[in-house]
Amino acid sequence: MAAKISLRNVTKQFTVRPGKGSKASRRSQDSQPGAAGKTGTQEPATLTALDSLSLDVRDGEFLTLVGPSGSGKTTLLDLLAGLSTPTSGEVLVDGRPVTGPGKDRAVVFQQYALFPWRTASANVSIGLEGRGIDGRKPNRRERAAKASEYLKLVGLAGFEERFPHELSGGMKQRVAIARSLAYQPDVLLMDEPFAALDAQTREQLQDELLRIWRATGKTIVFITHGIDEAVYLGQRVAVLSARPGRLKEIVDVDIPDRDGEDDIRSHPAFVEQRHKVWTLLHDEVRLAQDAGHRKILPDGTAPDEIPGTTLERSAA
Amino acid sequence: MTTTLAQQPAASAAPKQAPAVGHSGPVEEGRRSTTAIPAFVRTAAARAGSALWKSAGIIAFLALWELGPTYLASPSTRVFLPPLHEVVAAWGKLFESGTIQGHLAASLTRSVSGFGGALVAGVSLGLLIAWYGRLNSVLNPLLELFRNTAALALLPVFTLLLGIGEESKISIVAYAAFFPVLLNTIAGVKTVDPLLIRAAKSLGLSSLALFRKVILPSAVPTIFTGIRMAGTASILVLIAAEMVGAKAGLGYLIVNAQSSFLIPDMYAGILTVSLLGLSVNFLLVALERHFSRWRTAVGSGS
Ligand SMILES: Nc1ncnc2c1ncn2[C@@H]1O[C@H](COP(=O)(O)OP(=O)(O)O)[C@@H](O)[C@H]1O
Ligand SMILES: [Mg+2]
Repeated sequence: MAAKISLRNVTKQFTVRPGKGSKASRRSQDSQPGAAGKTGTQEPATLTALDSLSLDVRDGEFLTLVGPSGSGKTTLLDLLAGLSTPTSGEVLVDGRPVTGPGKDRAVVFQQYALFPWRTASANVSIGLEGRGIDGRKPNRRERAAKASEYLKLVGLAGFEERFPHELSGGMKQRVAIARSLAYQPDVLLMDEPFAALDAQTREQLQDELLRIWRATGKTIVFITHGIDEAVYLGQRVAVLSARPGRLKEIVDVDIPDRDGEDDIRSHPAFVEQRHKVWTLLHDEVRLAQDAGHRKILPDGTAPDEIPGTTLERSAA
Repeated sequence: MTTTLAQQPAASAAPKQAPAVGHSGPVEEGRRSTTAIPAFVRTAAARAGSALWKSAGIIAFLALWELGPTYLASPSTRVFLPPLHEVVAAWGKLFESGTIQGHLAASLTRSVSGFGGALVAGVSLGLLIAWYGRLNSVLNPLLELFRNTAALALLPVFTLLLGIGEESKISIVAYAAFFPVLLNTIAGVKTVDPLLIRAAKSLGLSSLALFRKVILPSAVPTIFTGIRMAGTASILVLIAAEMVGAKAGLGYLIVNAQSSFLIPDMYAGILTVSLLGLSVNFLLVALERHFSRWRTAVGSGS
């Protein structure tokens, strides 16, 4: 069977300005020969975020992706979403190269990214305001009905008229999930969507996401830095190496009677596979720490996590 | 004022009730009885109290204005500083004869046309400049230069080019109002959360839709701040322009009264200017609040 998403030798490089001294010297290992070693020069250097990565995602699969901070997970998701283009290699969805964002894919961000001036209902229906797949524009009432339907799907019936600032973090992320589902994409791309939520809300949303996945049959690529979360949600867990990001290994998650009422997290098979992912990741995290890699978000915000601690906590 | 007076009895009644019950029991009981007082009485009392507190400064100032000239100033100064009641009487006479309305109308016409023109030009040009980054880097130094040239310094230029008629006054008001609107529009567009732009793109919005549905709405609060600043600036400049050369308007009323030695009339004109400024600002703040409703509590949550 053909893969839904297919990455072939994908490399992504960024041009960075070697600013404040020490950072430039750290990056020099990734830099082109010309810029290497010249600490503090204004010459732009190249940073390799993803290095010749190949990965196939099956139709209807739930794939989770883990990797140390700065290993290029978000970069990979941007490529899949069509928000950026690879430096070399191919990104294929349904066998066709990705040329930009499309209605066949939807993204859910960690920071929700709801439009604060729109109500929950209007946020959900924003993707429906253009022409639909059938080539006609749904009217206001149809859009509102669709929004209600999807808000109900994520357990937010009756919250249509709330503004984002009137909702809790978990509710905001539910709205964001409803928004991404509402225009019926085949693929759901999720970038650490539950990382900012408290443990209880996170578990609740994990179960709801599994329910929605089973009900809708979407292909889901789910990025996380929680090993528990990766093993709990994914059919397969892809582990990325420390920067530059390469595919280190794919772990098949095989847990019998997943749908049972029991606590899956204490099932021997779960424990075993979590340990496997943990070991794979732990080496990489140590590598990343030794290299002094720090996570710098594209928008320049400070690191939101200390590499390692989160992973060790969730593995404990 | 009337609301403050009407709510006064409620304010004095509320504190009396609480201790009366509080005496009979321990502290906790006293607290419970406080909640027994209807909530609206308490909020009304609190509001009346704070309104009284806030207007204390104004009342003191008006009292000083009324009594100061009579009891503190020397007779020669008193001529130039008439007590409040004389000014109010002069204002009443000007109002009865329709003089003040005429001048107010002249000033309003000028400021509304100048301000309106600046608004349309400033917002549309600002959007254009912010959208085309190239244009911005070319125009930015020039805009800085113009913005830092006080509008009033250019008044002689406007007068020379456009005469002392309406055109020069409307133009200088437009000029003064234009830059706050323009610069805030550019800033508003530039400070849109990049995450929202990513989200909108991932939702498949076209450039036009992205602009209309994401960039514009998120820039609106900043644009309104510029509009409010422009409102203040345009009144200031208008009054000054009318003082220099005009046959009508509040600025003209003030200088004309001064040169005719109608001192109370002069103060009546000044009073009208402050009331006009206050109401324009009040209106613009209300508008700004209306369009920034969604911003309340943002930042505390996420
Ligand atoms: N737009 C960009 N410009 C320069 N460097 C970037 C950009 N986006 C990401 N990077 C760098 O690429 C690396 C991978 O980043 P990212 O994909 O965000 O990692 P992750 O999501 O796995 O934590 C980081 O070192 C980051 O600093
Ligand atoms: Mg990331």
